[in-house]
Amino acid sequence: MGKRTQIIALVVVAAVSAWLAAGAAASPTAGPIKIGISLSLSGDFSDPGKAVKRGYDLWAAYVNAHGGILGRQVQLKIVDDASSPNQVVSNYQNLITRDKVDLTFGPFSSLLTGPAATVANRYGYAFLEPAGGGPKVFALHLHNLFFVQPAPVVKCGDTFVQYLKTLPKAQQPKTASYASLDDPFSSPIADAMRAKLEKSGVKTVYKTIYPAETTDLTPIIGKAIAPKPDMIIGGTQSVDAYSQVKALIQANYNPKFLFFSNGANSPTEFPSKVGAKNVNGIFSCSDWTPTAPTSGNKLFVSEYIKKYGGNKFQIDNNSSEAWAVGQLLQLAVKKVGAIDNKKIITALHQGTWPTIEGNLSWDANGSPSGNDLLVEWVGGKLLPVYPKSFALAKPFSPKPAWGK
Amino acid sequence: MHVFIQACILGLLTGGVYALMASGLALGFGVMRVINVAQGALIILGAYLSYTLYSSLGIDPFIGLLVLTPAMFVLGVVLQIVFLRPLREEEREELSILVTWAIALGIEGILSIAYQTTYRSTITSYADRSWTVLGYYISVARTYAFVASIVVLVLLFAILRFTKLGRAVRATVQNPTAARLLGVETRLVSALGFGLSVATASAAGAVYGIVFPFNPGSHYDLISRLLTIIVLGGLGSLGGAVIAALGMGLAESLFSAEFSPTWASFTFFVVLIVMLVLRPQGLFGARVRGAI
Amino acid sequence: MQNLFIFTLMFAALGSAWNIIGGYSGYISLGHAAFFGVGAYAIGITFTHVSIGSGYRPFYVLPLVGFGVALVAVPIGWVAFRTRAATFAIVTITLLFVVQQLAYNLRSITGGSQGISLPPPSFPVATFEEPFFYAMLGVLALSMLASWWIRGSKLGLALLSIRDDEDRARGLGVQTGFAKMVAFALSSGLVAMAGGVWGYYIGFIYPQFAVDPLVTIGMVLMVYLGGKGTLWGPVLGAFILVPAQQYLAYRLGASNLYLVGYAAVFLVVMLLLPRGILPSIAERARRLRTRRLPPDPGRGPQAKEVVAS
Repeated sequence: MGKRTQIIALVVVAAVSAWLAAGAAASPTAGPIKIGISLSLSGDFSDPGKAVKRGYDLWAAYVNAHGGILGRQVQLKIVDDASSPNQVVSNYQNLITRDKVDLTFGPFSSLLTGPAATVANRYGYAFLEPAGGGPKVFALHLHNLFFVQPAPVVKCGDTFVQYLKTLPKAQQPKTASYASLDDPFSSPIADAMRAKLEKSGVKTVYKTIYPAETTDLTPIIGKAIAPKPDMIIGGTQSVDAYSQVKALIQANYNPKFLFFSNGANSPTEFPSKVGAKNVNGIFSCSDWTPTAPTSGNKLFVSEYIKKYGGNKFQIDNNSSEAWAVGQLLQLAVKKVGAIDNKKIITALHQGTWPTIEGNLSWDANGSPSGNDLLVEWVGGKLLPVYPKSFALAKPFSPKPAWGK
Repeated sequence: MHVFIQACILGLLTGGVYALMASGLALGFGVMRVINVAQGALIILGAYLSYTLYSSLGIDPFIGLLVLTPAMFVLGVVLQIVFLRPLREEEREELSILVTWAIALGIEGILSIAYQTTYRSTITSYADRSWTVLGYYISVARTYAFVASIVVLVLLFAILRFTKLGRAVRATVQNPTAARLLGVETRLVSALGFGLSVATASAAGAVYGIVFPFNPGSHYDLISRLLTIIVLGGLGSLGGAVIAALGMGLAESLFSAEFSPTWASFTFFVVLIVMLVLRPQGLFGARVRGAI
Repeated sequence: MQNLFIFTLMFAALGSAWNIIGGYSGYISLGHAAFFGVGAYAIGITFTHVSIGSGYRPFYVLPLVGFGVALVAVPIGWVAFRTRAATFAIVTITLLFVVQQLAYNLRSITGGSQGISLPPPSFPVATFEEPFFYAMLGVLALSMLASWWIRGSKLGLALLSIRDDEDRARGLGVQTGFAKMVAFALSSGLVAMAGGVWGYYIGFIYPQFAVDPLVTIGMVLMVYLGGKGTLWGPVLGAFILVPAQQYLAYRLGASNLYLVGYAAVFLVVMLLLPRGILPSIAERARRLRTRRLPPDPGRGPQAKEVVAS
């Protein structure tokens, strides 16, 4: 390589290095409260990421139209992390050190929340996040983290197990098969349920975990139904939940109890993918429903429809979770009387806070101490059925035959 | 035994679809010495277009092929002329992988923008039905897919064997210089041959979309299997690709049923490694070392 | 100190390492991200299963990781090198997916899809990035040193002869098998070390991010952009592309255009600038110099000019 080209290369590298090594430039301005958020607006998580953005935007618009927080307007600085952990780390660092945001809200997915929360913690920022509820996030033991949902994801199925115990002994399932997706949420939920159920005497006759790209679940369902279990528990996301249902229909097997951790809890997608007449009697869990009698829920639903149209059953949970984050922040700031991350963190670790996601409280690791809702398809509609205080319909079992 | 035969049925049906997808790839290499890493993405593109035709206009995917296939043929020709022909002969093999990988990324990006990343599926009326024959259930959708794949493959073989274009393509594959000497317009033939291989992607895509849920990122999974299949069959051998595809479909299904679904996709790679150790040129590849 | 700098150094190191096998020998390995992932997981596993403690200790484990992966790369290389050119590229792509699958399936070791999380080290906040910066700089220096040394050595000549015409090289008695293997192992070990630093820095090792085809595309693209087979080319490519890409994503973001953008840059480089920036500049400079030569160097004053330049 010629000397000339070497020099050119060195010059470029040196120039870029100088730019990269430069510290933060912007100085903080008084005025609007700046909240920094990194969201997955492109890449694998872009659909739920966009739903989160809708929730945040809706909240910010509502707050600003009603006097702001402590008399100051709220300004959201949202940047795209392309669903990449590298980017999310850079983003939050830039938001905090370069853009000097006052507060931070969480991104989408436990996979990104973990690295992001670590960055925020380093700088002492409170981290209220809507969508990072996997066990790995709480294993970080971060004091600044708050998962704004009633329960950690892994406990999603607990309400179902509790419901089963309320049934008369003769009606309770004796045997169960477990088929779960290999991802950070789905199989942990099924595993947690299995541990509890085995303890109360439900025999596990089959269990398996299938990889994420498995598009055809027929052989797996075939194995799961071979021992004729009373109950099938699917630790699922959405696509595989639909596949499991279709496989069960094709094999003509109707278990007495059928539970999916995810997929069966989407009010419009599920019936459209598996057939509206096939949904009745299927259970799932949810952190929020549009009809739940939680604090501020009616307001949220009406504001959402005003801004984005549609009907309340088309509201994605991710949007409600995002709104709840903003709602929670507002309550905390009101209590503390200032935009002070340290004080906010201390305040949130005490007491119970009412949001549209329920009345929330957390342990030292940011894991919420409540329970999710048990939902069931009743008469073609997805309704909360347990616990009683949030129920809009009575839960029923056993599951009716397919197509009824 | 029941599980074994059921798995065999499923494996053969899936293998047929793989065969269709791999044939396009084999053809592309044979005609142009180009490894078209974008074949997976083109298949997914075909799936999306077929899905759109069905969900917006109600056109059944198999009927929609009448429109899609010529359209993607043209796309293939255009891709070849714009991106592959400018590459110099010596570096074509090496650079084609990178160029076609870039094309695959571009297609993935465009599809993500247009359709978002939610999984789609062309759910036709027969999508969930199955026949029960002698106690074995046979999925209707997969059978249609298999039959369609066989039909298109037979068509492809017929074109290559009996038409003038087909003979010109085969000549170019075997010996480009001699073909040119004999008056074959190799540049044109290469473009048309590549167009053919992309056209098979449209058929494969329509079929894929009925059987499997897909999103823009699905092409990685696809292409890794297809590449393994053509290496197994021997680069450039169409027949080898078909046989390898059927074999792998069977192997994967049997392994999944008998042992573990989690490791099922590993069968591809294990077979590949065994093949590479024993016979690196694949089943029907050329024996000359330099030509692999 | 921006963490962007760390990522830039990382890709510079990756590109330089890849160049050793891809640039010098002409064997395009498209699965190198697999070794990156193995390096990251190796560091993660030493944390969770061997508990070597936090702080600076993981950095001391890095050379071991690099050496270990280099050793593992030998049998892999032996199988892969039974093929040539296009098939080799395909086999390396397959390697990438195999490693990713292993990462998903070997749940007891790798944590499967739940990944491995490393406790963040307790470096002081103000200078948190610095240890990682120096570690990555170290890996880059090592890569470039290896690259520079190979260029001047017999091994380098062997690799270049393989690139030009492998059969003839073999015919002439060059130890092609040995040369390829050494280059492959060295390259993989270096890539794994970069992966180890990355894993420790991000603190979360998930299969789809640690073993990511886009990492391979990135390093290959940067090498081609800067100049394949040169010493500084990969570094230049990284210093141009990484800040540009992350900066654009931060400022403009909000669409899936980044994939299309990547593809476009790749295609432009492949089709219009296939030799890369540095060799193209060198070529231009050479042509300018030769143009100054007069047609008949025997004539009076111009001859003196030629001698003087």
